[in-house]
Amino acid sequence: MTQLKTLLSRQKWLAAAIATIVLAALLSVMSPVFLTFSNFQSVLVQASVTAIMAIGMTYIILSGGIDISMGAILFFTSALFAQLMLDTSSYPLAFAAAISCATLLGALNGALVIWFRMSPLITTLATYSIYRGMAIHLTGAQNIPVPREMGFLGNGRILNIPVPIILLLIIFVIGIYLLNKTRFGVFVRALGNSQRSAEETNLPIGKVTITAYAIGGFVTGIAALVLLARVGGLQSGIGIGIEFTVIAAVILGGTKLTGGSGTIVGSVIGAVFLVLIDNGLNLMNASPYIYDIVRGGVLLAAVVVDRLSAYRAEQSLRSQRSARLRETAQA
Amino acid sequence: MSQSEQKPILQVRGLSKAFAGKTVVHNVTFDLHPGEIIALVGENGAGKSTTKNMLCSLLAPSEGEILVDGQKLEPGIGEDLGVSAVHQELSLFQTLTVAENMCISRLPGKAANVDWAEAERIAAEQLDFLGIEIDPHVTVDQLGSGKQQVVEIGKALLHAEKVLILDEPTTSLTAVEREKLFNILDKLKERGLAIIFISHFMEEIYRVCDSYVVLRDGEQVGHGKLADVPQHHLEEMMVGRAIGEARPDLSEPTADEALRVEDFENEDFHQISLSVKKGEILGIAGLMGAGRTELAEAIFGLRPAKGKIWVHGQEVPGHNVTKMKDRNVVYVPEDRRINGLFLNRPVRENLSAASILTFVKRRLRGIGFKGEKRKANELAEEMNIRIPHIENHVSDLSGGNQQKVLIGRWLVTAPEVIILDEPTKGVDIGAKFDIHATIVRLAHEGAGVIIVSSDLPELLNTAHRIVVMRKGRIAGEFTRDQFDPARIISVAASEGGARDDAA
Repeated sequence: MTQLKTLLSRQKWLAAAIATIVLAALLSVMSPVFLTFSNFQSVLVQASVTAIMAIGMTYIILSGGIDISMGAILFFTSALFAQLMLDTSSYPLAFAAAISCATLLGALNGALVIWFRMSPLITTLATYSIYRGMAIHLTGAQNIPVPREMGFLGNGRILNIPVPIILLLIIFVIGIYLLNKTRFGVFVRALGNSQRSAEETNLPIGKVTITAYAIGGFVTGIAALVLLARVGGLQSGIGIGIEFTVIAAVILGGTKLTGGSGTIVGSVIGAVFLVLIDNGLNLMNASPYIYDIVRGGVLLAAVVVDRLSAYRAEQSLRSQRSARLRETAQA
Repeated sequence: MSQSEQKPILQVRGLSKAFAGKTVVHNVTFDLHPGEIIALVGENGAGKSTTKNMLCSLLAPSEGEILVDGQKLEPGIGEDLGVSAVHQELSLFQTLTVAENMCISRLPGKAANVDWAEAERIAAEQLDFLGIEIDPHVTVDQLGSGKQQVVEIGKALLHAEKVLILDEPTTSLTAVEREKLFNILDKLKERGLAIIFISHFMEEIYRVCDSYVVLRDGEQVGHGKLADVPQHHLEEMMVGRAIGEARPDLSEPTADEALRVEDFENEDFHQISLSVKKGEILGIAGLMGAGRTELAEAIFGLRPAKGKIWVHGQEVPGHNVTKMKDRNVVYVPEDRRINGLFLNRPVRENLSAASILTFVKRRLRGIGFKGEKRKANELAEEMNIRIPHIENHVSDLSGGNQQKVLIGRWLVTAPEVIILDEPTKGVDIGAKFDIHATIVRLAHEGAGVIIVSSDLPELLNTAHRIVVMRKGRIAGEFTRDQFDPARIISVAASEGGARDDAA
């Protein structure tokens, strides 16, 4: 039991996975259709946009930052893509412009944070407003439909697997590889641990930070296209509040908000967990107004549980230390 | 020795550094040979840190140059030239594994990929050489502070082919771990590594070093072989005035009792009874883990304990922090950074924090800043707190000056009892002297003073009486005419001993 506890406190994503399985079991008791393969797919498709963005957000949070402007990047990318398709009907141009702009906007966040040593929260709060405003300016606040064949990205299938799931899988695998097998991955985790140590170790702090935010922008670009395809066109409400869901997924997945520790798997599980909660509320015919309350409550509960376990760990570490001192004194 | 005939591995020539026109290090010049350990000493604020940062290429010098094996050291390339440093505050990443931490600036592997098996092999090999059993897979936060220190040294050693810089490497180590570290240093010396050793502890310096460089106010004021210079002479060079013999004059305690505890007891200590008179300084000595800090905290009400307690002759029933504070009892904790100072506030506010109500002008309901400023300036002057201005933030001060601020704020309040835990830990000699003078003055002005300290000379210098604790009990008591360091140490450490005649 204690071993399980230490395992859970060290591998936080496992706790999220267990919570997700328990929730899924509960839902399958409530509804016979829940435990079908097609429903499983639909849950993943619903979670895909959040999950893709959460993978990017994981890098940013791990490096000790945060990006509040992700929803605005999502909206700007969607707007740029829709407008370019409307004006030029050129897919290559629209795709290339959307993805590279998303990456650049992300990188700009990182650059501002690093160059001016600003708080990431305030910086991206400002760019959130700027990016969203730029998008509205670009489209004249209009709703723009996208061509029907775009729907393939959102609802199409390859080898009978929904395209959003395939995209999520590819990003998931690359994400895990990048974080665990490359220098960049180690540096990201190191940076979130201690900025001072990173300076003293002479790590390329600027490069790493900007890259982390750029990755966040890049995946947001992809998520934007998937979302646009699923919705069928640009609407003014796209991306509002999605940064909350994304950050919630990352935190529920066991990543420390202050950085340094966390996993990609956890963030994806967190995104799935949030969709399951929506599913459950849906099955219970809950009022739509209650969803936000429950989501917020779940996030709060997760953070409280984490704080409590961290507090207990500190206490036991303290008593271990004083026991050790006593031993040395008697030796 | 044959060292002087060898070619120096490190040549420091006229090294100077100025920040915004203000020179903080001026004209530091010395040579270091393979297998030589040099002590870089000086008070806090003497320019050691700046010099260290230039030597490990974190800072570019304003003037002068550093040659490593004939090659000029440019900013950022220290590790490439084989120079690496262990900083005072560990530069480890807590949630990364030992192997990741040790190899981080030179991760093995092709292109962007990391070869983890190789990294772990390198780490394991290094730890093996250091003679310590640590699993390279575990994350650093699972290790005790002693092992973390070894990992940090191992990390630096991976890059220190020629010169290793150690900045206060022993502050978080127990006596046993410290001895282990010194053995490692001996091994490295045999290997031909040159080491720059920065420390406040004179015994350590004489234990491990061959030569020394003394800095004072940014100037190099001494350099030579350690064997040629007695300790008090080295200390005088650091402080720039004669010290050592000068004991502060203790005034006689009064007959009034300031504080008395009887049959104090909890899980950390047992059957403690002691008292302090007004104007008396009581030292509490003992080994780490003897229960001294726990007792001090319990007396102030920070920890629960059974027993009776009197302040100024009146019993305090159900005593707790609030009640002790109301009776003008003051506690100055050991870790000033965590407990006690407002680091990001001006020195003025930190000095007046304990007496702020006395500066409030009734009618305006505001604070009389003029009075506060005047008092803060007076205090800074009296205590020799070295700051350009009292509006500077406490975080800008050196450790010794921070400690002076922390203690100085109580001078205004005329405390009944003041309990100090390790008042000069990590503080340089000059500041120590000033702090001792302040403590003596507090007693002179009528406070009952209790000092918990691991620094026996400190207690011998300042206390009227020393109580020795061992394993949570009072193992002996000495009045000033009975002071004998050897006996006090043996009582603190041994079984049986003087316990019977003390009880």
